[in-house]
Amino acid sequence: MEGGVGLTTAQPQGPPPPVAEKLNQQVVNQLNLEGVKTRAISLFKAVTRILEDFDAYGRTNTSPKWQDILGQYSMVNLELFNIVEEVKKVSNAFVVLPKNVNAENAAILPVMLSSKLLPEMETDDNSKREQLLQGVQSLPIPMQIERLKARMDMIAAACENAEKVLADTRKAYGFGARQGPSMFPTMDKGQAAKIREQEDMLRAAVNDGTGTRLPPDQRQLLTTALPPHLADVLIINDAGKNALPMPSNNINSQGNLLQNSGTQFMGRSAASPSGGNFDNTRSPLQYSNSPQSTSMVNAPSPQQQQLQQQQRSKLMQLPQHQQQLLAQQQQQQQLRQSSMQGLGQNQLSSIQDLHGQGQQKFQALHGQHQMSYSQPMAHQQFQARQLSGGHIQHSMSQGQLNPAMNRHLNQFSGGANSALFTSAQGSPSSQMIPNMSSMQSQTLVPRMQQQFGVSGTNPQRGHSSQMLGDQMFNSSGMMQTQQTQLQQPQQQQQQQQQQQGGYGNMQTNQQTLQPNMLQNTQQRHQNPQ
Amino acid sequence: MSISPKTNSMECVVQGIIETQHVEALEILLQGLCGVPRERLRVHELCLKSAPNLGVVSSEVRLLCDIDQPDPTWTVKHVGGAMRGAGADQISVMVRTMIESKVSKNALRLFYSLGYKLDHELLKVGFAFHFKRTAHISVSVSSVNKMPKIHAIDEAVPVLPGMQIVDVTAAATPENYSEVAAAVSSFCEFLAPLVHLSKPFDPAGVVPTAAAAAASLMSDGGGTTL
Repeated sequence: MEGGVGLTTAQPQGPPPPVAEKLNQQVVNQLNLEGVKTRAISLFKAVTRILEDFDAYGRTNTSPKWQDILGQYSMVNLELFNIVEEVKKVSNAFVVLPKNVNAENAAILPVMLSSKLLPEMETDDNSKREQLLQGVQSLPIPMQIERLKARMDMIAAACENAEKVLADTRKAYGFGARQGPSMFPTMDKGQAAKIREQEDMLRAAVNDGTGTRLPPDQRQLLTTALPPHLADVLIINDAGKNALPMPSNNINSQGNLLQNSGTQFMGRSAASPSGGNFDNTRSPLQYSNSPQSTSMVNAPSPQQQQLQQQQRSKLMQLPQHQQQLLAQQQQQQQLRQSSMQGLGQNQLSSIQDLHGQGQQKFQALHGQHQMSYSQPMAHQQFQARQLSGGHIQHSMSQGQLNPAMNRHLNQFSGGANSALFTSAQGSPSSQMIPNMSSMQSQTLVPRMQQQFGVSGTNPQRGHSSQMLGDQMFNSSGMMQTQQTQLQQPQQQQQQQQQQQGGYGNMQTNQQTLQPNMLQNTQQRHQNPQ
Repeated sequence: MSISPKTNSMECVVQGIIETQHVEALEILLQGLCGVPRERLRVHELCLKSAPNLGVVSSEVRLLCDIDQPDPTWTVKHVGGAMRGAGADQISVMVRTMIESKVSKNALRLFYSLGYKLDHELLKVGFAFHFKRTAHISVSVSSVNKMPKIHAIDEAVPVLPGMQIVDVTAAATPENYSEVAAAVSSFCEFLAPLVHLSKPFDPAGVVPTAAAAAASLMSDGGGTTL
């Protein structure tokens, strides 16, 4: 009660300050300010007396006479009520109350009025006031007031018209009243906890992405069309996954041959060299000298045969020197094509299978006493390696040699090297491989890195180990040998070179290379024998 | 990829939530406080995280595409760590490092090719006010939507139906962040009847009396002549 009375007594003391400001006597009489002041002072004294009584009761530790206290309280309460009514009349003249404040929202009025204007807002306010008075500052004050009143009346009329229009529209379209519920909102603990949980969820989604992440399997697949702002940024390939545009691999103007081959760089696999028999128990990589390989290993696909026949028939109709040039170009193109097809197949995953099947394969290799390719074919294959190496290099991405594969390869690389070395020494054709001993010290991982064009610090390998690497790990090598064999004029040329010295003389070997590749191959492939 | 960098390296941030039914009232209040026209907001936000090959500590960048415009504009934003310590606890806004830049549309491809992976994506739909008061302050009120399928913005669903998020951000520098923080705090006081704003990771809840304040702001009563 003490606090309550203290607060309310402060209210009636509000009016006296205007007296100190020497208000117009007529206004003072009309509002009975002196009477209000007298009553407020007497009320203040009565409340003070009651408080002193309570203080005395507290000190002397005596029980109060409740009958007297309640009587005094009812008197004070009545007097206070009367004064508040009087003050309301006074405040109507001096205090502007917001019209929209009512019992429903009165409690939040202090919050709405609590903020002080920012300095910027104050300066803005002042500038607006100056702007408002700009035209009338020179006039006498009564004239200024009249002008401003006239302007305010105009604005008020405009507002009234606007309100009428709004009210009519609301009626016409059946919009209800926009006032909120009449009950003052309260929030129990359960509701507060629920809102807290919701807020945490929303904030976490915005700040951390919690609850908005897709599962990894759905993150790759795009089942709907891309929105316009992403359509020209991302493209979709055959597999339906988000992909970035691959850089085009046009080597020269013969790119149309590459398009007709029936295979694509990505998405679908190329024509498989393992024939029509798809046996899941076999290793995906079939060597020509493997016991599991079929007779179709080295046969080109029907599409390639048809293409080669068409090209040969065209060749016959040209003069001889043009025939030779074209034959060279076509062979080089086919070598590139076949090496690209090799990329189309899932080579990397199949290499991992070697871990399980390596022993069996290398034992089979021991028992054979002859390599399955002749010297001219080996020479052609070496040349194919030279031609296609540069072009394959930038179409493989670095990320494809993953650590797991490296681990698999390391596990059996030592055994593989020694098995290959001993089998090659025991075979009659081992004179073809003078650099074989250099393989002993090399693991398969650097060899893989070089074969797939991933940069590394390893020195360039000798030709024969490179060739053997192709034979073992690149199924496209088989296709290359067969395709080049079908080119009759080219084969004769190759055999001539073989008689001249084969590997011993690199200069003769470079006759068939394109002129613009000549310098490059001299630098990279010179044999110091 | 063309980039136009911004010099500001810090930002002051506060966040809050508001019920969708009171958003219209908040818009009226903001319109009066800011004195600038509101801007529609429709932003596709892609959050990318770096792969291990880009460093042990994973970094996060946000690519924001304003898809409300006929020609969508892209912005890349990297948000750093918040300021910590006794000084940071005393101010009511979060101060954190931030680098933001306009980029060309192929930025997404660039980040993918660098090895960044899509972590999550959001669609924010709402409105924003940008104005200057001591600092450049931006107030955005938006519904946050998630995608059921990757990039399917047409099928986006609200993360929390019936609730919207209010973000107040102001660009700052290491020299003036305290003044900017004070300006943001004092501006937030004006929004107190409708929305409680706090640091991003400190929940503030909804204002129990927001309905009454909204009703007051939206009421039909005209002013009487004095």
